[in-house]
Amino acid sequence: MAVERESSARPAPPALAPEFAALYEAHGRQIFYLCLRLLSDPGKAEDATHDVFLKAWRKLDQFRGEASWLTWLYRIAINHCRNLQQNWAERHIQPAADDSLLHSTAADTDSPLRVLELKELGERIQRTLDTLSPEYRLLLLLVADAHLSYEQVGQLTDQTTDAVRGKLHRARRAFALEFPKTA
Amino acid sequence: MKPPSSKLEHRQNEQTAEARQTQAQAAGREFASPEEMLRFDAARTEVPETVKARLADSLEKEPPSEARASWWRRLFL
Repeated sequence: MAVERESSARPAPPALAPEFAALYEAHGRQIFYLCLRLLSDPGKAEDATHDVFLKAWRKLDQFRGEASWLTWLYRIAINHCRNLQQNWAERHIQPAADDSLLHSTAADTDSPLRVLELKELGERIQRTLDTLSPEYRLLLLLVADAHLSYEQVGQLTDQTTDAVRGKLHRARRAFALEFPKTA
Repeated sequence: MKPPSSKLEHRQNEQTAEARQTQAQAAGREFASPEEMLRFDAARTEVPETVKARLADSLEKEPPSEARASWWRRLFL
């Protein structure tokens, strides 16, 4: 009996502190989704989500409570993904997205976006986002989070609320133009 | 002879299969805006369980910080 008890008494796997676990449960999905769509790679998104929360843990004493936990985490995630993309871009030549094409092309952004196969939706969204400029991609992803106001999106992207509205209009148009091409 | 409950079960199975087929056919949907589509996609994207486990492992290796602990207490307790 004693032997059985000894063999089953394995050390418990480490668990997150309850408060930090609550933070992770509340915002882990939002951070993972942003990383996934910015980095276009599930493996990199996993690593990035881990790193973002680890950085948050290390910087916990710097959190002043002026921003919400979500915007604070988003800021860490945006900077982290930017650094990763910059490192990648330094090693690869990337063609810049030509936004001028979007200005000259008429697109009916009021039409709904139709999807027949939902199982392919994630892939199609990714391919569409990958054609957009990094700025438009980030704007759309942040605005899509209903928990963020335009003002908070402006703070996260270092621009005014009016600028967010103007660029968002063009970002929507760009997305609406590109999405049907992924079918 | 089959008991009546088996007949009922068979009919229920048929109905479930029909419902599944209809659901699959109607799987396509429309989104009013890219944000709505992204919101839908985000809601059905699951974070791999490994992230939480890795994070717990990493945090265990982090040195304790009194400044962090006091902040934590002030914010949550």
